[in-house]
Formats: sequence, structure tokens, C-alpha cells
Amino acid sequence: MMLKALLQFRHRRFRRDLSVYVDDMLPERARRRLEAHLDSCQACRQELAELRSTVEALGSLPMAEVPRSFTLAAAPVAEVSPRPTARRLEFGLRLATATAAFVLALVVVGDFAGLPGGGEEEEEVRGELFSAAQGTPAAMEAAPVETPEPYGITDVPGISDVERLAPAVGADVSEEEPSEKEALEEAEVEEEAEAGAAEAPAVAEEEEGGGLSREEAVRWLEVGLGASVGVLVVVWAFARFQRRIGNRP
Amino acid sequence: MVIADEGELVRSSRKGDLGAFNTLVQVYQRQVYNLCLRMLGSAAAEDAAQEAFITAYRRLDSFRGGSFRAWLLRIAANICCDELRRRRSRPAASLEAALEAGSPADVPSHLAGPEEEALRRELARHLQQGLATVPAEQRLAIILRDIHGLSYEELAEALGCSLGTVKSRIARGRARMREYLVARRELLPRRFRLKE
Repeated sequence: MMLKALLQFRHRRFRRDLSVYVDDMLPERARRRLEAHLDSCQACRQELAELRSTVEALGSLPMAEVPRSFTLAAAPVAEVSPRPTARRLEFGLRLATATAAFVLALVVVGDFAGLPGGGEEEEEVRGELFSAAQGTPAAMEAAPVETPEPYGITDVPGISDVERLAPAVGADVSEEEPSEKEALEEAEVEEEAEAGAAEAPAVAEEEEGGGLSREEAVRWLEVGLGASVGVLVVVWAFARFQRRIGNRP
Repeated sequence: MVIADEGELVRSSRKGDLGAFNTLVQVYQRQVYNLCLRMLGSAAAEDAAQEAFITAYRRLDSFRGGSFRAWLLRIAANICCDELRRRRSRPAASLEAALEAGSPADVPSHLAGPEEEALRRELARHLQQGLATVPAEQRLAIILRDIHGLSYEELAEALGCSLGTVKSRIARGRARMREYLVARRELLPRRFRLKE
């Protein structure tokens, strides 16, 4: 019983090899084993003969003449499909630009809203907001001034908001090709330089409670963010131009 | 068919030289057309072949070397598969119907006499009907291997799969064709009649 099952298994395996054997593509050892099996197996010999006839019949099919020439009269519009990495870069730059512009808008709105009050007053208002969750309209408006903080340019000077966004962009950014990465990092570094320059005085002001006034710090922040937006837009436009993103037929 | 300066023609085509590309078209148009003919039948083969060359010209930048013929046949094969998929979504225009209507069995042969010619046509008709019963991927493999004579390596390139998959598709496609022909052995010309 076991022997019969084993023989059946071997037989099936040899049958699978017949097609490659017809093409003379079977490795030497497998070919010798199959030929030994063929000597003793009438069914496989029959199948091999039928397979050879089938291949010969297919090979006898004539190649038809073309009904007309397929040469092109005019060059078709080239199809430029942007590489996925280029699309990701574009997406990342667009996201970074939008975020920087949004943060800038928040800072500017917060700045105008917070101007009537002094720096100390705003600190108090912020304290109230966090502790008792009670806010005057002025405090509510002043709150956005602090919103850039979660993007955390202040506490870790080496990380820009683009890098902060990396987890949100997720695998996309991590899958960038080295060259794309460099381009993105370049953008980050540029922005980081701007943002870092803008943030340093703010940190100093908050920690030491003196030196630079809050209004000046906000001005610097605005200038930094504005420059970041500008740089990002330029980088984005350059990348678009270089990679011809959007130049689709 | 391989031309000596194929690489040069490809390079010129990439730079926008339409004349160079048309030379390549002239070299390979018969193979591309015949692949479409065997896959889709004569009614759709012409359009598919033309689409293949237009697509090839547009995507020349994606050719990474290797066999240009395999690359071109891969584009044609993809177009044929897309067309077959479209047909599946429209049952009225089934593959079988298309093949019956525009069978390439009537390809003339200038060498055969009238009787031989009739037998050859009969065999071609059976083979074409048999091919229509083979799943598209396996059909592509046996057409490219047994009719176009591509090597296993070229096939792997043209089908975009491994050598193991190529061998398996050819084996399964041939097995189906064998079963189809065995069931009709008495209808086949004696030369190709499968032994009892």
C-alpha cells in the first residue's frame, strides 16, 4: 500500500517534469532519473509522445503577415509617469509648506489678538487656561500663540517641524530614496536654521524671564516661519520643475 | 530576429528619433501582431498591436536593457490581458466568440498544395479553439514559447515572473492543450494525430 502511494507520488513528479524535458531544459541528474522512469512507465511514455505532438502542432502554426504597417506617423505624446518617490516628496513638501503656513497664520492671529495685553498678563492667562480651564475671550485668542509648541521647535533645537511631521507621513518618508531623502533633509535643515534662529530668543525669554520681550520673540517667530514658508515653496517649485511632476499627458 | 544595432536604435528612439523607433517597429511588428492575433483573434489584434507600439514609444524610458523583443512582447501581452479582462466584464463579447468570428486559422501558406493547405487550416482552427480554452497566463506562455520560440529566460522577462513560474505555466498550458487535442485526435491531420 505504502509502496503504491510512493510510486504514485514519484509518477506525478515525473509527469510534471515532462514539459521541461521536451524543451531539453531538465538538469542532468533529473533528466537521467526521468529517463529511467520512462523505461518502466508506459503511461509516462504515452504522455511524453502526446506532449511532443502537441508542441509540434503548436510550432506548425504559421506566423500571419501583418495586415498593415504599424509604424508611427507622428510621435505620440510622451508619457511621463512620476515616480512614487517623487510623488511622496511632493506630498511631503506640500504638507510641510501647508503646516508652516498654518502655524504662521496662527502666530500672526495670536500676535494681533494678544497685543493689547503684556507678556506677563499672557503668561498668567495661559496658566489659568491650563489649571482651571477657564478662559476669557482674550485668553482664548491668545492660546493659539502657544500652539506651535507641540511641534516642538523649542525644546529640541535639532529637530524641525518637518521631522516632527515624519511620523504622520509615516513609512512614506522612510522609504524615500537616498537622493530624495537628501533633498528633503536639505529642506529640513534650511527650515530648521530659520526656525531655530527664530525660536532661540523665545526660549531665552521664557526661561530667564527677561532680555527679549515677548513681542519681539513673536516677531522673530513670525519672520522665521515666513522665511520657512518661502524656502519650502521655493524647494517645492524647484522639485516640481526638476522632476517634471505634473507634466502628464 | 535580432538586429545588430538594436541598442543604438533604442538609444536614438529614446532621444525622440521616430525613424529609429519605426525601424524597430518594422522588425518586431509581425511578432507583436501575431501574439495579439493568437490571444485576441483577428478582430481586435490590429488595434492591440498598434496600441502596443504607441505604448512602447511612450514608455521607452522604462526599458532597462535586456531583450527589447521580450520587453515589447510584455507590453503587447499586458494590452491583450487588459482586453481580455474588459471582455470578461462584457459577457456578450466573450473570447470564444471573438476567436470564432475572427479566427487566424486562415493564415495563407504559400508553400502548401490545396489538400495540404486544407489540412493545415483544419489543424490551425483546432489549435486556435484549443488555445481559447487555456487560461490567459498559460496561453501567453505557450504562445510565446511554442509559436514564437522565446527562450525560458526571455519568457521570464516577457511575463515578468520567475523561471519556475514560466516552467509551471508552460507545463500546465501544454497539458491542457494535450487534453484538448487528445479528445479530438480523429479530427487532426495524420502527421499530428496523437498516438492511441
